Amino acid sequence: MSDQYAVIGKSHIKVDGHAKVTGSAKYTFDMVLPNMLYGKILRSPHPHAKILKIDTSLAEKMIGVKAIVTGKDTLGHKNGPWRRFPELCDEEILCREKVRYIGDPVAAVAAVDEDTAEAAIDLIDVEYELLQAVFDPLEAMKEGAPKLHEHAERNINVTRRIEWGDVNEAFEKCDYILEDQFHTSSQAHLCMETHGAIADFGYDGKLTVWTSTQSNYYIQVLLAGMLGMREGDVRVIKPPSGGGFGSKFELDSAQFCSALLSQKLRRPVKIILTREEEFTATKRKTPMYYYVKVGAQKNGTLLAKEVRVVTEGGAYTAMGSTALYLTGFYSCMPYKWAHYRYDGYRVYTNTAPTSALRGFGAPQAYFAGESMIDMLAAEMKMDSIEIRRKNAVTPHYEVPGQAYIQSCGLNECYDAIEKYMKGRWKLPPNRGIGIGNYAFMSGGIFNWFNTPYAFSAAMVKINIDGKVDLFTGACDTGQGSDTTLAMICAEELGVHLEDIRVHAEDTDLGPADLGSWGSRETLMNGNAVKMAAADAKRQLLEFAYAKMKPNVVYDLDIKDHKIYMVDRPERYVSYFDIVSDVIRAKEGQTIIGRGHYTPHRKGMVSPAWSFGVQAVEVEVDPETGKVKLIEIVTAHDCGQVINPIGVLGQVEGATMLAAGGAFCEDQPMDNGKILNPSIGDYKVLRSVDMPKTVGIEVDTYEPEGPFGAKEAGEGLTSSTAGAMANAVYNAVSVRIRDLPITPGKVLKALKEKKEKGKKEK
Amino acid sequence: MRKELRLTVNGQPYELYVKPKTLLVEVLRNNLGLTGTKRSCESSSCGVCTVILNGMAVKSCSILALQADGAEITTVEGLANDGKLHPLQRAFLDYGAYQCGFCTAGMLTSAKALLDENTKPTEEQIREAIDGNICRCTGYNSIIRAMTAVMNGEYKEEK
Amino acid sequence: MGYHCPVCNKVSRTSADLVRHMMGRGDNVHRDWINAKGFKYAELLASQFQSFGSEEYKRLAEVLENEPNLKVDD
Repeated sequence: MSDQYAVIGKSHIKVDGHAKVTGSAKYTFDMVLPNMLYGKILRSPHPHAKILKIDTSLAEKMIGVKAIVTGKDTLGHKNGPWRRFPELCDEEILCREKVRYIGDPVAAVAAVDEDTAEAAIDLIDVEYELLQAVFDPLEAMKEGAPKLHEHAERNINVTRRIEWGDVNEAFEKCDYILEDQFHTSSQAHLCMETHGAIADFGYDGKLTVWTSTQSNYYIQVLLAGMLGMREGDVRVIKPPSGGGFGSKFELDSAQFCSALLSQKLRRPVKIILTREEEFTATKRKTPMYYYVKVGAQKNGTLLAKEVRVVTEGGAYTAMGSTALYLTGFYSCMPYKWAHYRYDGYRVYTNTAPTSALRGFGAPQAYFAGESMIDMLAAEMKMDSIEIRRKNAVTPHYEVPGQAYIQSCGLNECYDAIEKYMKGRWKLPPNRGIGIGNYAFMSGGIFNWFNTPYAFSAAMVKINIDGKVDLFTGACDTGQGSDTTLAMICAEELGVHLEDIRVHAEDTDLGPADLGSWGSRETLMNGNAVKMAAADAKRQLLEFAYAKMKPNVVYDLDIKDHKIYMVDRPERYVSYFDIVSDVIRAKEGQTIIGRGHYTPHRKGMVSPAWSFGVQAVEVEVDPETGKVKLIEIVTAHDCGQVINPIGVLGQVEGATMLAAGGAFCEDQPMDNGKILNPSIGDYKVLRSVDMPKTVGIEVDTYEPEGPFGAKEAGEGLTSSTAGAMANAVYNAVSVRIRDLPITPGKVLKALKEKKEKGKKEK
Repeated sequence: MRKELRLTVNGQPYELYVKPKTLLVEVLRNNLGLTGTKRSCESSSCGVCTVILNGMAVKSCSILALQADGAEITTVEGLANDGKLHPLQRAFLDYGAYQCGFCTAGMLTSAKALLDENTKPTEEQIREAIDGNICRCTGYNSIIRAMTAVMNGEYKEEK
Repeated sequence: MGYHCPVCNKVSRTSADLVRHMMGRGDNVHRDWINAKGFKYAELLASQFQSFGSEEYKRLAEVLENEPNLKVDD
């Protein structure tokens, strides 16, 4: 497969590598502009309160303080990414009348240095009227619970439902029925570069913002809306970004407050969130209550599944509405359920808003789902791979009314896992292997943001010396989209990766792109880039046809700087010569190619699906309850691999993040206050904790993707928690239904099992 | 209020006047403009600020600048020699041992400190050497592979 | 056979589907229609969550079945 390609399918040093290993990459965190001020944000210490009065007089008098803004200095707009539904755009950011979680911004200060700004914050006096608060979504839905937003009765923020068939009728026909409940926890993104922005509002009324972001387009649009500005007058530039993972594609307090302050002062203002603010006042993973009922028949067929979910929404909608929808969709995957019903509720609570974290509802869905499949398998006395393989989706399957699956390598993934695990199933005591699998989207088809633009677009510019400039809107936060897209461009255009310079960070220079989230860049932006490169290539080939005059039945193509006859590759002309000729022919214009991509008629969810099967081996210490990760093997289908070393990095990184969420990361709260807002207290996997990870790519080709490629990186986080829960069960026969799987929970379950004296299911 | 501070950074001697509470990482980043070394937490727990001080990998956010008076410090900017990348940097590039890059400076300095002191560490020792450096992107294993490759002599120092 | 939505005319396959559509739309006009029939929208939504089987929606489905001019004739 890869031999046919000159660039893709082979590992390349990433295009931003040299800057990063030499320390010369300048992040927003590093940037200093002339005349720049530093900002800090005052945040609510209460989970729910009315703002009665804000007295900034003492702070204003401090030497070095240049400006202070509060909600009164805003236009009073509320923002949110679901712009199609105005009532879901519910976040003022700088609160005017009410605060709804501990950390909700109330004021912001710009001063000559950070220390002065921080001291000034302490001098701002806010008078609050405390309101009753509610922290658990099940409590928040009860009659009489304190109301967070006027429009949301019972604090029900969003509901979503997905249904086909008739589950009630189908359950009657089932030989095995299981019902159970699960709970998934919060998780912090812990990007190594915290949220931050430098806003520079000029005297010409135009705003430039440098910020660490996954979507400079979203920030541009949302910020323009909040400031009452024309979108085009807001320019958002993304320098090299230190991580995103779902936390950085919504308008955040650093961006909004720095813009407001800069607007007032007409000087650049820089706000970088502290690690504590990062933990407490940025979006986090959506905790979910899962209620699942599954039914199967004697012959091994999974027949009916009913799911009810309540998610802890936190104080504002954010992208939690998308997580609510997606988790309901992933709950039916990757199996052919003939009957399915999902009812999802997102409920407001007085806690930090919950939104997207790598997986975006899938890790939660597959934790509950994959646990239940193993439980069913045990009841039905089927092997855990056998039950999955028998019911797995296949190529060209249609999830009724929802999605059409083209390429699907699940079967090959099961084969690969079975082959790898052969002879390893017999284990010493307290060791277990658990299986989990997943299907994941390659970008969503929905336009809840209500953009008028193509979802992805790209422009290719060829210079006289053959060097190529690639303009896209894809935001590389470390996942390697700059390199992946440059490789796709190089492959299509027949040049080397070194010939391409990627420009993907400036809303003024590049076309709009929805951003790096929902695993959309490789497929959607990749298609746009391929189309742009093909457009530029066509302009070169037109000229080459005229020059080489091959018979009309013969094709020309470009590879390795040679424009050659496909059937007679020994006949070629130089790419560089043709470039020069074409520019002359076009009256000296640079060669420009354009491309774009928006999925049309691709179902309700995504144009393509990646798949994977994961085997997790653990060792449980029955004395302490501690779970040790031994090995994690993932066989996955991402279509054509573009950059193998990039994919390996995604497999290993995703595994670490997912494993962390499954067994050690959590944000326990007390009355809405996060108790562990520091890296010392928030437990993550470190180098000594990482188990051996193996990634096995199975070979498929996705017609919808560029060169057959699909996503690789988010789906890989989805199955780990379920596989781990299954592994722990196989090791010590206790089933944990509440993430994270901590030693305390394992010990408690072991004790209960001992006391009950029978196997727990 | 300011006190005199003399230190050598990446082979270059500096004479500065700093306030007593200034941290070493602040001097490196703000006074000397060496922004390769980063900051990411307030609790000296993440390791992105790691530099080599008198041969030891240290968290520069947990040291007062004045405590480093007279010290020899190497930051990520000092790894390359005369425009040629250090073997560790070349290995990191080949093994894809970075993604967002924010932890990379700390990883490289921790790795260099280890290999300068112990030319044949075990895998366990390699993992322990970067135990104080959090990476949120790579899952660490690519960094281990890069360090192991250098240890095995796959990357010779370029003249 | 099917049912028109009394508010926006969208056709649903069964009365149960129609209930889900109206509750799912959740906008003021749909809510007002449901509340005018003696239900409390928010309570219906919250109690629907309490158990499997869609029990609570059945009452509203019955009301819709008996409402004149909603049935679609094939």
